[in-house]
Parts: sequence; structure tokens; C-alpha cells
Amino acid sequence: MSWKAVCAAADVPEHSIKACEAGGVEILVANVGDGFRAYPPVCPHMEEYLEDSGVCSNGVLTCTKHLWQWDMKTGEARPPAEKPLLMYEVKQEDGQVMVFLDRELEYEFDRDDPDDDDW
Amino acid sequence: MRPMTRVAIAGRERRFHFEASAGEKMLFAGLRAGIPLPYECATGTCGSCRGRLKSGQIDAGWLQAPGRRRFKPGGGELLMCQAVAQSPCRLAVAADIRAFREDDVRPDHYRGTLTGCTALTADVMRFEVALPAPVRFHAGQFFVLRAPRVSGYRAYSMVSYAAPAERLEFIVKRKPDGAFSNWLFAADQNGASLDLFGPLGRATFHPDESRDLFLIAGGSGIAGLLSILEHACNSGYLHDHKAALFFGVRTWDDVFFSDRLLSMRQRGAGNLAIHIVVSEQDPARRPPARLSGFSTAHGLVHQAALQALSARSDGLGRGAADTLVYVAGPQPMVDASLGALIAGANIQPMMIRYDKFT
Repeated sequence: MSWKAVCAAADVPEHSIKACEAGGVEILVANVGDGFRAYPPVCPHMEEYLEDSGVCSNGVLTCTKHLWQWDMKTGEARPPAEKPLLMYEVKQEDGQVMVFLDRELEYEFDRDDPDDDDW
Repeated sequence: MRPMTRVAIAGRERRFHFEASAGEKMLFAGLRAGIPLPYECATGTCGSCRGRLKSGQIDAGWLQAPGRRRFKPGGGELLMCQAVAQSPCRLAVAADIRAFREDDVRPDHYRGTLTGCTALTADVMRFEVALPAPVRFHAGQFFVLRAPRVSGYRAYSMVSYAAPAERLEFIVKRKPDGAFSNWLFAADQNGASLDLFGPLGRATFHPDESRDLFLIAGGSGIAGLLSILEHACNSGYLHDHKAALFFGVRTWDDVFFSDRLLSMRQRGAGNLAIHIVVSEQDPARRPPARLSGFSTAHGLVHQAALQALSARSDGLGRGAADTLVYVAGPQPMVDASLGALIAGANIQPMMIRYDKFT
């Protein structure tokens, strides 16, 4: 895999998000003002589609499903969120937002702990 | 003695186990045992009580539940509010399972008697459920109710507040596909026996808060907010705090409890502002006399509320940081309100308590 164009930079207004697709992978593109970010399309909590449930305000993305929030630039979780957003590497080229896709990023719903059978 | 089945739950940080009765939903068994499992609607819609089965046999329950819509085939996922353990089970729940409030009431199963059915508007009914013994609950909480020969529980917030209460008062809006509401509207059901589980819900009010209250209700979502306001009135909270209620319905004729709201406003002694917002009312028709004591507006309730919040014409007078916001109503209205409050009014999520229903 490699750099893939996901959308035109002009398609995502400042301080907003847009669901896109590249190489069969769904990606949520965010315009954070001085650049772009790319996350998996769903909330790491209950897999709600953030394009529908997400609200951008002051550099913070909030999922209105249960009010989980993240710093849009860093993906860092803010309370009450318990997990950060995963992020793809992003660059801009010829007016296109490009994402480095070597594998699809997905949230682990839960840990598998096969060595632990005492519960 | 009913056979019990052991259910073990691994949350992110902690593990728990409890015993479920034959046929008992896992969520109810866990909550009854004092384990603060994650949930919101408790009736299959929201997906908040999702878990993944690691071992054991279950009956998954309602397979078309909207809360299952993101489940992947073969993933072993289940909704604890729907699933029943048929053998000892282990599940993983991807959540930090947090403690209850110290004064929380442990929910339990009850059998009650339906009484006092009264039509409030063409499609809203008030009713009560008489319980064999008084129960305690927090203002803003709900019970799930199951009618005879109607499958599945439906969630209804208590309208009034008493601690403890021997009768729970509810309102129900008639919905074309609502099994419970259709059963209730079909005939005189006074005297019918109902199964209940509760109290449930975390969009609660406690008089030890120290903030003004801003409440946004869509239609029958007013129920839990009325319970909160009643508790606030009766506990003296409104002596030194302000409250603003925005009540959204379609037309003037859909406004119910106007007498109760007026009396509440009087008891609020100048600290309770009530706004009625109609979304589908022909503006040519003036509000009827019974609504003359309220401020009225046309439009969507969350937009009217946000406008008032931004213009500081909500009657609260304090900053957003000192205001506790409650939102209750149909899911699209609540989601729109949450978005507007966060993006439009800079309200912090920790200041917002909400109750979504479908």
C-alpha cells in the first residue's frame, strides 16, 4: 500500500469532518484549520459513524452518541472519552488530501486474554 | 427455587460475576446484583450495553434490535439488555465499569397494577402503576415496563417525584408501531398487571448540586424533567438557583400538563422560567388562553433553547460553566440538542445529562 488520494482539500471546510474512501477503506477526514487529519470512520466507543454523530467545536470533536471527545489535531481523548482516535499519516499534494494506507486502522473492541481462564 | 446461572463479566479494568434467574436479561441480573454495567436505554435501541460472548450459551433475544445494527456476523456480540444466559457465561464488555452513586437505588423486578389512565391529548396518556411496597428513585430516572402478552420492555420516565413512592406516574405517547402504547390505547387497561424493572437512568437530579438548571424537553420527554423540577421545587432548590424549561411540541393542542407547569412556576417563585416551543403550529393561530402564562415561540425546541442560551435571555443569568443541562426526548432531537449545546454554546459534556428514547 502507499499514499492514496482521499478527497480534494477544498471539499472539507475548516473545522469540519467528512467521510471519504480510499482503496476500499473508509476514512474520516478532518480539516483542523492549519492542516488535515484522517481517522477511522467510527467512534472508538460504540462504533457510531462520526460523520453522523460528530460535532466539531474549538478543535474538539465530540460524538453526540455518548459525548466522547477528542483533540482533533492529536486524536487525544478528553473526558469522558476513554480511548484516543487512531490517525493515518496525512499530506497535501496538488490540492488533494493524501493518506498513507499500509493497513486499515481499526479499533479493538476488547482484548483477548487467552491465557487467563480463572474468571 | 428458580435455577440461577452464573455470568462473569470482564470490563476494561475490573471483573465481576453475578447470578441470573431463569429467563432474566443479563443486564437486569447484573444491575440487580449491584454491578454498574453500562447501559442507556435498557430496551435494545442504543447499543450501550454491548458485550462479546467469550464462552457459554445464550438466547440473544430481540435480533432486530436497533442496538445490534453495527454488529458483525459471527462476532459473538450481544446486547446485555436482551440476552439471557442459558449456561454459565463469560463476556467481555469494552467499557470502564464505574461505580454507582453511593445513594443509588439498586434496581429490581417488581409487579405492579395499572391505574389512573387519563388521556391528556389525542395521543398522550397519563397512567400510574401501584406497587406492592414503596420504592425509592432519583428524579429523572425511569423504569422499563412490560404489559401482559406484549413482548419486550419499554422505558418510561417517572413524571412526579416522591421518595419513597408507592405509585409511579408515567406518560406515554401513542406511536403507530409502539406495542405498549397501542396496548394501552386499545382499551381500558386499568387493573392490568405489569412487570417492571428499575429504577434506571443516570440523567438524574440531586438537590446537593450547586448549579442552575437548563432543561430541554421534546414531547413526552418532559416526563423525567418534570420529576426533576418537582424535586427542585419541593426541596427548596429553586430558592437560590434558577431553572429554565424549554418544552417542545408540534402544536398548541399538543401541550399537556399546562396546569401543572403553571403551578410549578408559581412555586418556583420567580426562579423558574417556562418556554413552550411549537414546531408545526400555524402562526396565524394565537396560543390558547391556558398557555397565556408562558413564553411561547415557534420553531425547533433545541434551536429556541440555544438561542436563549446564547442571548442570555434564558433567565438563568450565570455562565455556561455554572449551568447543568438536561435534555430528554426523541433521539434525533436529543442528538441535535447535544450538538448545538457543545458546538453552539460551549457547554462541557460533563455538564449535560440526557435521556434518549425512540
